[in-house]
Amino acid sequence: MRIAVCAPQVPFVRGGAELMADDLVRALRDRDHEAELVTMPFTWYPGTRVLDQAFLWRLVDLTESDGRPIDRVIATKFPAYCVRHPNKVAWVLHQFRQAYDYDRTELGQFSESPEDRATRRAVERLDGVALGEARRVFATSRNVADRLRRFNDIEAELLPHPPQTLDYRTAEQEGYVLSVNRLDRAKRIDLLIEAARSEPGLRVVIAGEGPDRERLERLASGLDGRVTFSGRVDDATLADLYARSLAVYYAPVDEDFGMVPYEAFLSAKPVLTTHDAGGPLEVVHDRETGLVVAPGAAPLAEACAYLGSHADEAKAWGLAGKSIAERVTWDACVDALLS
Amino acid sequence: MKVAYYSPLPPSRSGIADYSALLLPALRERIDVVTAQPGKRAPDADIALYHVGNDPDAHGWIVDALLQRRGVVVLHEYVLHHLIAGITIGRRKPRAYLDAMERELGVAGRLLGLGVLDNLLPLLWETQPERFPLSGVVLDAADGLIVHSNYVAQRARDAGYQGRLWRIPHPAWPMGAIEPAADVAGDPLIGCFGFLNMNKRIPQLLEAFASFRRNRPGARLLLAGGSGERFDVDRRLERLGLTDGVVRMDYVPEERMWSLMAACDVLVNLRYPTMGETSGSVIRALSLGRPLIVSDVGWFSELPDDAVLKIPVDEYEVAMLEAALALAVEHGSQLGAAARAYVEREHSLSKVADAYAAALEVAAGGDAVDDAVLLRIAEAAHDVGIDDVGALARAAIDSGIVR
Repeated sequence: MRIAVCAPQVPFVRGGAELMADDLVRALRDRDHEAELVTMPFTWYPGTRVLDQAFLWRLVDLTESDGRPIDRVIATKFPAYCVRHPNKVAWVLHQFRQAYDYDRTELGQFSESPEDRATRRAVERLDGVALGEARRVFATSRNVADRLRRFNDIEAELLPHPPQTLDYRTAEQEGYVLSVNRLDRAKRIDLLIEAARSEPGLRVVIAGEGPDRERLERLASGLDGRVTFSGRVDDATLADLYARSLAVYYAPVDEDFGMVPYEAFLSAKPVLTTHDAGGPLEVVHDRETGLVVAPGAAPLAEACAYLGSHADEAKAWGLAGKSIAERVTWDACVDALLS
Repeated sequence: MKVAYYSPLPPSRSGIADYSALLLPALRERIDVVTAQPGKRAPDADIALYHVGNDPDAHGWIVDALLQRRGVVVLHEYVLHHLIAGITIGRRKPRAYLDAMERELGVAGRLLGLGVLDNLLPLLWETQPERFPLSGVVLDAADGLIVHSNYVAQRARDAGYQGRLWRIPHPAWPMGAIEPAADVAGDPLIGCFGFLNMNKRIPQLLEAFASFRRNRPGARLLLAGGSGERFDVDRRLERLGLTDGVVRMDYVPEERMWSLMAACDVLVNLRYPTMGETSGSVIRALSLGRPLIVSDVGWFSELPDDAVLKIPVDEYEVAMLEAALALAVEHGSQLGAAARAYVEREHSLSKVADAYAAALEVAAGGDAVDDAVLLRIAEAAHDVGIDDVGALARAAIDSGIVR
């Protein structure tokens, strides 16, 4: 089968969504399909610009390439799923959340002006059209599926995707809590740093880059080097960081999916998250595969201290998570997407 | 974003006042709303929402405001002849009435209007308003149109309305515990609620009920609602020998109405001709999960077949109605369950309020958004030598990016 995987690209930014699209292409090729990543830069501001980007995808003709038909399109994110194709499958990792649950919160972008309100509605209407014409709609998490139902009246099938391919392994834990995430406010890495401030025995390693780094580094100053920033790390270093960690912290605000819990689990590490983290709660179960606490520095500090002093439990929870993560395979995903 | 909200409100005794009393709190949770009042200065707002019905006393001031400032119109019924006559002839502006008639029917309409003004023709709003709806006066001033039914949507389109249009169902009242009234009874008890007149097919209902009662002597019919001066219900009851079988009540307040409806085994809400209206009584009946019989016309035809029994308006109407009464009694629980499921699915207050908020936001800012996107598309097209951007615009419209 000739398959175009469509995903937007924010120039100079690389995260879970980009990894997922790359891995999907690889997984399709591994199964003897001709697969190609089709991407376009995505800028969602200011104002109505977000609609221009959707329009660009709408103009792309992917029914054929070089005189041969393209059998299927798999689109992963807004606005890539606006592309037209008779055999379009949407595997929704994200809608444009500023138009939905982020609206009227500090993470939103639309003001109360009539033009902004109408732009938000246009995104909503566009999602209805674009996803409504897909032959199947999958959601990578229950959170995404619930949002599609709530806002767009679209029923999506649940299809989580496997995490990135790394040399996952488990080593003796060295007592630090690891954060792997883009450094922006919605990821709430500041809560973990505040926890380190109130828990003197807690060591934190923060992997990743992002616009919030400077603020986070300021926040971590004066903690005697107990919080270290690794920046963007290569695959081998990342696998090593996972392997040697005590636990992995992952608590964005109402995240849609997030590969980090799966990566932690494949390294047999428990995950520390919060009640309001959204998608991660589908696999991080309190005292089964990690700890789920209130979103505050004090509960997080207490949870980290507990993990540090109950290493056997932490190890057991990590192993329980591993058995969950191992059930999410590319074979199952590809079968569903092409069925 | 702020919305100026024009509607009759309680204590006004109208279905639209009840409607707004139900909708407003839910709408205010989603959008900034300021209510306009008759005789007061128009509130400052980004957009105005006008609830229009056919009663000139309740809605005349609202149409006045609409003609001063365009906005989104909620067309609660399609036929507005009575309203237009009230705000034209009733205010000694006969030329405005002639203009409205001409807008609808051209010169023939103007001549008909002159016939009415000169007392050469009967009053059209009383004798055959459905043939001359006169809704064009309102449609012309609407920047957006909210209707409750496909029937009204289609009629508005047929009349040439080309603007934005949303079909938003009538909201259902949140259901608390309702104690069925204990002071009315029948085996079975049939109920008919609302203003009683010829349009409600009361003569046909009485005739069908009289036949039905021959086999079910314990049956009783509850008629609750005021009646028109020219419609003598009591005399009709006497003639059909129904004085024992029918319980008459005048206007009943809201709480009492719910309780009476809950006591009924079957509810009947017939209509012909239809003015394109929805019926709050029908929504109440469906919410209560009571088996319901309606006429197969207008909005009523759009109700689901598994939830209501629909009676065509033809020569078999009475016979069909009699059979439907028996069927509704026999299959009351299935019909009622389907009715309740339908109301929960389609008429939930939160869904209706969401739809209103979406419509108002698009109406207020949609044109600016469309212009901004189309301008950039046109600029890009011009840069590559395309001056006719019609195809691009159509692609944008097809995908829902702009309207």
